[in-house]
Amino acid sequence: MADTSLSQTEARSAPAAPPRVGRIAGILHRNETLRGYLLMSPTMLIMTIGILVPFLILLVMSFWTREGFGFDTTLTAHNYTRVWNEPIFGALLQRSFWISGVATVVTVALCYPMAYYVAFHVHRNKMMWIILMTLPFWTSYLLRVFAWKVILGYQGVINSGLMSVGVIEAPLEFLLYSQTAVIITLAHAWAAFAILPLYVSLEKIDKSLLEAATDLGDGPMARFFRITLPLSMPGIIAATFLIFIPTTGDYITPALLGGPDGAMIGNFIQLQFGAINNWPMGATLSIVLMLWISAIALVFLFVTRKAQERIA
Amino acid sequence: MDVVDQLGAVREGKLSRRKFTKGLLAAGVAMATMPATSRRAMASVDDEATFFTWGGYDIPELFQPYEAKHGTPPNFAIFGGSEEALTKMRGGFVVDVAHPCNSGMPRWVQSGLFQPIETSRLSNWADVMPELVALPGNDAEGGNVWMAPFDWGQTSVTYRTDLYELEGEESWDMLWDKRYAGRLGSLASGGDAWWCGAIKAGVAMEDIATEEAFTKIAAVMREQRPLIRVYTDDTTTLEQALSSGEMAAAMTWNSSAVLLQSEGVPVKFARPKEGALTWVCGVMVHKDAPNLDRAYDVIDSLLSVESGQFMINDYGYGHSNRKSFDAFNEETLAGLGLSKNPQEILEAGHMQRPQTQEWETRMNETFEQIKAGF
Repeated sequence: MADTSLSQTEARSAPAAPPRVGRIAGILHRNETLRGYLLMSPTMLIMTIGILVPFLILLVMSFWTREGFGFDTTLTAHNYTRVWNEPIFGALLQRSFWISGVATVVTVALCYPMAYYVAFHVHRNKMMWIILMTLPFWTSYLLRVFAWKVILGYQGVINSGLMSVGVIEAPLEFLLYSQTAVIITLAHAWAAFAILPLYVSLEKIDKSLLEAATDLGDGPMARFFRITLPLSMPGIIAATFLIFIPTTGDYITPALLGGPDGAMIGNFIQLQFGAINNWPMGATLSIVLMLWISAIALVFLFVTRKAQERIA
Repeated sequence: MDVVDQLGAVREGKLSRRKFTKGLLAAGVAMATMPATSRRAMASVDDEATFFTWGGYDIPELFQPYEAKHGTPPNFAIFGGSEEALTKMRGGFVVDVAHPCNSGMPRWVQSGLFQPIETSRLSNWADVMPELVALPGNDAEGGNVWMAPFDWGQTSVTYRTDLYELEGEESWDMLWDKRYAGRLGSLASGGDAWWCGAIKAGVAMEDIATEEAFTKIAAVMREQRPLIRVYTDDTTTLEQALSSGEMAAAMTWNSSAVLLQSEGVPVKFARPKEGALTWVCGVMVHKDAPNLDRAYDVIDSLLSVESGQFMINDYGYGHSNRKSFDAFNEETLAGLGLSKNPQEILEAGHMQRPQTQEWETRMNETFEQIKAGF
């Protein structure tokens, strides 16, 4: 299909200005790098305007300090030393990593069997299954968070259900406005980001390898740990990153469900740009968060690669 | 493609994957384009004035005259605290009319983001209570004002009369009551909570900026923090929690108690022996207000008797139009903690005072750290 359309356009434009097109086409044909950059250029443009420039602004601002309502633009590492010295920032970072780490592990652990089932045991209408699994995620993120508020609430679905059955006498208060609530909600809200990469990597596994393992005497468990798990590792790693990185800085879930003890670094960054009105500090916190996430991601990559090598 | 037909096909198991995907695609396209088409249908949205206000004021009931004139209420943008609102506007957010309170007003004026209100353009101005206009820092050039007063009221404790066992008199101690740990709520904005902390700590309002006051208030706020189930700017959250019994007492404004009472929830808006926190809020016009004429219509609408009667009757707030009170007898007003003479109420409590920007920022920073557990 692509081939025919290409030749068609060439055929159509060729009589209009043959030498010129020929030259450009020639350059493009010979220079593979240029072709690559050209293909990437729309994305690169958006990345530059939408990500690189704001990032640079953030970086520069993080070295400024607040002065009344304005900024003192002399460059100083004052904010960074504050982040290092004052315990509140470290504690909030730690809490964020803990909450989103647990949420990531729970999500991947819960989604793996689902993806596994569709990849290996569903033979007809796979697409339909995937769509059905991701259907809840077609609703807005905010709505899902609010739905969990209703489920976990004081007179929510869980509490009133348990009370009517007679398991508990008074509503469970730890369900809402706690770290537990944030973890549960994050684990559900980001499930789609785990199911899809896991499914793709599991689906790609060559079934004859599994048959070979069985032929060579592996039981189902050994077969899973020696073949399926290592080969689906890319999916697990992708899912982990896709969930861990955005949830660490999540703002709306802890804001609505976290209560005083469930606040995360994202909420504090928001406050710096809002009520506390210290934009440079907010910028610094964002940069520090990014650095920490990168560091953790690198360590995770390194560890999984080592583990994979050992298995292989 | 017929929707009913498709549903039938699904039921009979005859729907092919391609057809199903096609149906989904059609639904997706329809959903994605819906906002675009409906927005185009309401092309007038951009022509309406935008009112930047606290949650709960974004209701058509307060804009009956505006709606009568323009056919639709103004646009709304919501903030949780006035400091947040000011920061947002400093960041470049342009609205027509914003809703600060007396303690923030001088700082809002200093920010240079607002224009004086020409009182001659307001048809209801003659009925506005002069004592509410004469706030410190409110007079602009030529007899105009910066802020047109709109509502006044109190911040106090709303408690469940059936769940909260009162010991002695009503007092701010109720929100520091260890018996109800985890069943108390508070407003999240330092603009309310910190001042209430000052009353609890016994700091006089005129001394609130001293170093000693800071230490004292921070100490009581830290003491309170483990007892609080949730700090929120969303009054609905507090109201729901009080109505379900999740909370036994919470710091609220007048409206929460009145709303809950009207729904038959046994609550009371306490009159703490130390005095409640009192405030006057009003509206200011942004200097770059894109719809200035309609901005004046918003203000006029807020100052109207219709809005005033709604404010008093449904929210239990005081209003700035003296005629609004005519429909109510003294008894009803006293029951709501209001009076035709606002000075009486405002002075009986602790009235918020304007503070410097440095104080405001430091207070917010300290309070946010305390809320985060430090």
